[in-house]
Amino acid sequence: MGKVIATRLARLVATLLAVTFLTFSMTALLPGDPVNAILGVDAVRDPEVVAKIRADLGLDDPFLVRYVNWLGNAATGDLGQSYITDQEVITTISQRLPVTAQLAFMAIIMALILAIPIGVLGAYKQGKWQDSTTSAGVQVALSIPNFIVGIFLIWLFSVRLGWLPASNWNRISSDGLVENLKTAILPASALAMTQMAIFSRLVRSDMIATLQENYILAARSKGLSDRFILLRHALRPSSLSLMTIIGINFGALLGGTVIIETLFAIPGVGFRLINAINQRDIIVIQGITVFIATAYVVINTIVDLLYAVVDPRIRKG
Amino acid sequence: MGVIAMRRRGLYRAVAFLAAAGLVAGACGGSDDSAPADTTEESSEEAEAPAEESAEEPAEEPAVEAGDEAEGDVDTEVIEEETTIEYGGSVSVGLEAEATGLRPWEDSCSSPCYNMMIAVYDKLMEQDATGAYAPYLAESITPNEDFTVWTMTLRGDVTFHNGVELTAQTIADMFPIQQAGAAGSGAVTAANLVSVEATGDLEVTYTLSQGGSAFPASLARAPIGMVFDPAAAAADSEGYSMAPIGTGPFVIDSRDLDNETTFVRNDSYWGTDPDGNALPYLDSISFRPIPDEGTRLDALLSGTVNAMQTLRQGTIRDARAARDDDGADITLWEFQGNNLGGGMYNVLVPPFDDVRVRRGLTHLNSQEQVIEALGGTGISLPATQWFSPDSPWWSEKVAEAWPQFDFEGGVAFLTEYINDPERSDGKAAGEMIDVELSCPPDPTLIASTQVVEQAYTATGLVNVTITNYDQQTHIGIALGGENGFVGSHQQHCWRWSSDDDPAVNLNPALAPPTAEIAEAAGLAGAVSPLNFPNWFSPTAFQAVVAANQTDDFETRYGLYESIMLEFADQVPVYYSGHTATAIGTDTNVLGLNSWHVPSGELGIGFPSAEGRWSEVFIAS
Repeated sequence: MGKVIATRLARLVATLLAVTFLTFSMTALLPGDPVNAILGVDAVRDPEVVAKIRADLGLDDPFLVRYVNWLGNAATGDLGQSYITDQEVITTISQRLPVTAQLAFMAIIMALILAIPIGVLGAYKQGKWQDSTTSAGVQVALSIPNFIVGIFLIWLFSVRLGWLPASNWNRISSDGLVENLKTAILPASALAMTQMAIFSRLVRSDMIATLQENYILAARSKGLSDRFILLRHALRPSSLSLMTIIGINFGALLGGTVIIETLFAIPGVGFRLINAINQRDIIVIQGITVFIATAYVVINTIVDLLYAVVDPRIRKG
Repeated sequence: MGVIAMRRRGLYRAVAFLAAAGLVAGACGGSDDSAPADTTEESSEEAEAPAEESAEEPAEEPAVEAGDEAEGDVDTEVIEEETTIEYGGSVSVGLEAEATGLRPWEDSCSSPCYNMMIAVYDKLMEQDATGAYAPYLAESITPNEDFTVWTMTLRGDVTFHNGVELTAQTIADMFPIQQAGAAGSGAVTAANLVSVEATGDLEVTYTLSQGGSAFPASLARAPIGMVFDPAAAAADSEGYSMAPIGTGPFVIDSRDLDNETTFVRNDSYWGTDPDGNALPYLDSISFRPIPDEGTRLDALLSGTVNAMQTLRQGTIRDARAARDDDGADITLWEFQGNNLGGGMYNVLVPPFDDVRVRRGLTHLNSQEQVIEALGGTGISLPATQWFSPDSPWWSEKVAEAWPQFDFEGGVAFLTEYINDPERSDGKAAGEMIDVELSCPPDPTLIASTQVVEQAYTATGLVNVTITNYDQQTHIGIALGGENGFVGSHQQHCWRWSSDDDPAVNLNPALAPPTAEIAEAAGLAGAVSPLNFPNWFSPTAFQAVVAANQTDDFETRYGLYESIMLEFADQVPVYYSGHTATAIGTDTNVLGLNSWHVPSGELGIGFPSAEGRWSEVFIAS
């Protein structure tokens, strides 16, 4: 087990180094000067101010010097300070992470609530009209980009029915849970659609395989009800790969809510990233990108390790 | 809203999102909007509504217009609100972006940000309905003979939100902070402002290095004109952005970055309406950044917010459809203004250094078709100059001189250049010219560039390459700090003009673009990196300098007209149409078009979708 952990950690470090270097390189390659974004077009007419800001930010240093300096600070948890808002990047992330994490969590839960019954039904009725119908529905859900779903949800539940707000975010701390959920439900639903499709296909295929097992046939021969067999004997062993995918997708959602957060104007990590890109706030872009990559890799690593704990065959292998 | 309407708008939004996800293009470079708008007059319809806390009788002054009425669908018009005002209530405003900061001297600011700043800060000067500059926090301002020294008297008995009294020394103490500020330094340089002194308790003396008859315009802009508490700013500049302190009608209550910023009524506000009623009328106002245009409109239609701004004619079109076709209870406060879309040719780069190419390409630019591609048909007017037809600076002579769409004429100019053995791009006679047309990746801008590309390609004379960079990169390419501010652009989308005094926009645009050009013209030191087309004309420059030396309107009008005529002749810039902006509100949100300067005259309204919120109220 120790060797597995060490290997995973080494991979994690290598991945993060690659991500930070690539992010730094790409932002450095962009044409134009970040000082323009800081000062605005009017203000660049004062060369002294421009020179001072460039010096303050170390923008005149060679690329590698800037990268090493930044990496050294990042290793100690200092991701730098926004050129535009003056806010510490780590503060920016910590303020927005709960919002993004809540959205991701709700999306996963909502997706599971739909995906498991759909997947089980498809497997149980394999090849019949119920299976065909749910498979077609899942295919459609998988094909529609989540922002299209979001646009539709806004139109239906906000504009037409007036049930839910179209945008922005009510915080639990100031507005209470109910008001918070009112603003979270639509974006989480938009995110959940694709997840639901992925999960249900996985559950269906794993269940179909499980239902071929001898112990299932034995259970049937004992006269146990189909419902009992499906839920007690088939679903649990079929959930192992589902758990893996849930973990991976939760990590991906932490960085993958960018479009939905922008569409619904939700103050999460993704929304801040978009603003930083538009403002050429390179320090924030780097910080958030590295954070997202780290979260993804760490969660994947944890899932891998948990998988090894749950399944001794992997641990031994 | 009907299903069909939703489908149409949904399609636009889907396409927009595909193209713009992650690169929500802001404004520069023409944007999607080249539009006029009609200031709706429903605001005066609910005169019978009961007043909770009645003011005076409804005012009966006649409508006041900013210049002559425009021919088109958008009339920039401000009128006295006839509905009886009411106190109380809250307004939530959807903005197209979050403010980068709320420090006028430091934070580079555009329309969304000004909506917030104007709630908390007062400006020394403001524009009235005619576009003239009127004292606001100032009580009066007078120049010396050559406009190098301006003496301003401040309004008395004004205090900041923290209780500190506003004095002349306050303004003087603001100056070093403005000089060092990221936004203020450029404004100070542009205004040629060299010193600010308190010469009395309420008397301030501004000294300029060169005469500037339009200096009051600088005091109506945020970096120099918005008044802040210098002691608090010096003590904690970063904190000031989150907790700004001004003398304005609202006081900061909470700031949740990227989500909501709320201001509450300043009970000690000095301002009153013309009837003597204390301002502001609202209890509170909050601002929410909603970058997606469709969501922002949906937020208004669904009641998530009760006001929203837009700088996009496509959104104005959708909002009009929601109001007119689907019966949505919204008012559109539309404003045409002088802002216009279009672009520039970098005249230091061949073949754009040859006026035949610039004229030829401009003749191929069908503004009507571009406007249609932008979604502005019925909203936008083609442009011929930096002033809209309802501006006092607009010139019919220029309108007639501007090279209109003329395909054959354009082909003739290009053919003449192409067949010239001495052509500037070094190619052999008869070879096609190469044009790189660059715009930010706004979906509607992409559509409009495709219209232009088709026209160029149809001539068989032009190889067109279209490039799209995010807005900051787009600006950076034109600015060209790396190559002595020449830039590496060729044909480049851009926005021109504003409702400020013409000097504000034309002064930097006409100065020599490089040191070499300045020296050759005997103007060493007079270099402007903001001359983006790099076009320099001694006569145009002399005209703009002369316009700074006089405050006689007729003289200045003639000088600016001569500049616009030279633009029409030399075409360093081109246009895709005037730009409408709008603030949409629930129908019971009134007063946006009827705010006043302290003298009692109507203010300019809401240019660039920048509302003044002190006289906004909610009718029962």
